[in-house]
Amino acid sequence: MTLLSLVVSGLALGSIYALIGVSLVIISKATDVVNFGQGEMAMFGAFLTLTLLRQTDMPLWLAVLATLPIGFLLGALVQLIVVRPIENAPALNVLISTLGLFFVFNSAAGIVWGFDPHPFPSLFELAPITVGGVAVTPASLGIIAVALSVMFALYLFFEKTRWGTAMRAASMNRTAARMMGIRVEHVAVAAWGLAGGLSVISAVLIAPLTFLDQQMMVSIILKGFAGAILGGFSSLPGSVIGCLILGVAETLFGAYVSTSMKDSFAFVLIILVLLLRPSGVFVTNRAKKV
Amino acid sequence: MDKRILDIAAIAAALVAPVFFGPYGHYIMCMATIYAMVSLSLNVLVSEAGLISIGHAGFWAVGAYGSAVLVERVGVPFEVSVVAAAGLAGLVGVVVGLPALRVRGHYLAIATLGFSLVLVHVLYEWDGLTGGRQGMFVQRPSLFGWSLAEDRQAYYLCLAIFGLLVLLVRNFRRSLGGLSINALRQSELAAQCCGIDLAASRLFAFAFSAALTGASGALYGAVLGQLSTDSFTLVVSLSFLTMAVVGGMSSVWGAVLGGLFLAGAPEGLRAFEKWQMLIYGVLLIVFIRVLPKGLASLPERLAPLIGGRR
Repeated sequence: MTLLSLVVSGLALGSIYALIGVSLVIISKATDVVNFGQGEMAMFGAFLTLTLLRQTDMPLWLAVLATLPIGFLLGALVQLIVVRPIENAPALNVLISTLGLFFVFNSAAGIVWGFDPHPFPSLFELAPITVGGVAVTPASLGIIAVALSVMFALYLFFEKTRWGTAMRAASMNRTAARMMGIRVEHVAVAAWGLAGGLSVISAVLIAPLTFLDQQMMVSIILKGFAGAILGGFSSLPGSVIGCLILGVAETLFGAYVSTSMKDSFAFVLIILVLLLRPSGVFVTNRAKKV
Repeated sequence: MDKRILDIAAIAAALVAPVFFGPYGHYIMCMATIYAMVSLSLNVLVSEAGLISIGHAGFWAVGAYGSAVLVERVGVPFEVSVVAAAGLAGLVGVVVGLPALRVRGHYLAIATLGFSLVLVHVLYEWDGLTGGRQGMFVQRPSLFGWSLAEDRQAYYLCLAIFGLLVLLVRNFRRSLGGLSINALRQSELAAQCCGIDLAASRLFAFAFSAALTGASGALYGAVLGQLSTDSFTLVVSLSFLTMAVVGGMSSVWGAVLGGLFLAGAPEGLRAFEKWQMLIYGVLLIVFIRVLPKGLASLPERLAPLIGGRR
């Protein structure tokens, strides 16, 4: 494999991480919760999509589009049922509840769909083709394209729509936003829903490559965290770029250094970033005085 | 005063209990005590320091493999290896916590999550030291050359060490370090204004918690008699957290109840093996919502309903 084709597949991997990373950041910004169950909710949503696909004769592209409402519903329901009742409890309690979510979705998927990997149909061709002398798989290009268009839509949503503006306002200062007439509770539901949609897309994109199984998202959510921390957990564009860098760096590391220690790479990166620049590479440090 | 009577009764019950059970019961009791140590360490971390770890199975593994390797490969006596394992786990805790504790709380959770995943991976790959996929056999615990071949004997050793750790934790709570960490949890700003070093205090609390878990891990390996990386997965870390939440995190009673829960639940839920993790997850969510201080707080919650006093 040449360097360029490695970079392309790294970018594809990074796009998957970015979708998860962004969903974590959206929730964290809107509700101050770090949702450790996000990856499992994504996996659960992907299983729901697969069931939809098997039960109906729906074309694949439609099913992939359907992941968005499925994920939104999943996220919004979780917010309303699990997170809403304890929103005034200490942050730690909410975090523990999201770990409960991890357990619930992880094992519920195992109970309903079994513990074996399921093949998942791919929107894009998996066999490599040659573009300008570089061997790439259409799947990689497709993943990058989907992720980029989702990110662009997200940008438009946050910058150009009333809802997006409301969400940004609520994440900056909840009290002030409430006084301006923004329904902060609705923003929280919307944020969880949006994050749910994004993460299910990422699960559906990766599933054809890794097979869909109950444990598939455990390492991916860690990478999403790592990428988001690398770019700055408080910044959406920063976390996307961080995830893309992580994807490429990890692929190169796997190809040139060691395949078996590839998964550990992300963790070492987390430690290094936290040690050297805890607010992320792309976020200017705002020191807090005591 | 009546609280002390309750404590003494509990100690007496723990000492007498093996009489009523067979060998398998003794094994479960060993495990309950070992889990209770982990629960105790999470008490320190969560309820004293207000921090959280999703990777305590990692420190447990450091303790278990550390002690086993020292005993099997180096020939260190068991009682020394337990102390060494605790020290080693504490040291690893410093390395994991050092970067994360300088920033906000949830970074520690992420760092510990990553750490435990990587550690298990390393242990699995490092065939020569840990036996990799096959795992490794571990000698029975021994005390000054006496092998504690039966689980009943091992139980008393576990109990003694648990008692020791309880004393340590109680002293820590009353020490300057314990008070600082408590103050930091309630208000970082106010505590720092009083001259408390945020990073150092938290790091110490985290390393202390990791060390307690390491000691527990050393006993776990010895009582089980064999180690494999399957015992230290993410699910185990989360089960630890479930146990701490269900038992209650603000008292030693909570730790004991938590240990009994985690050792007993697989027996009680044997028919629902597939459902076990789901039940743990639901318990976590429900307890945090309904009874955030765990089973240990049940009496004080029920008291107004029954007696109407206070």
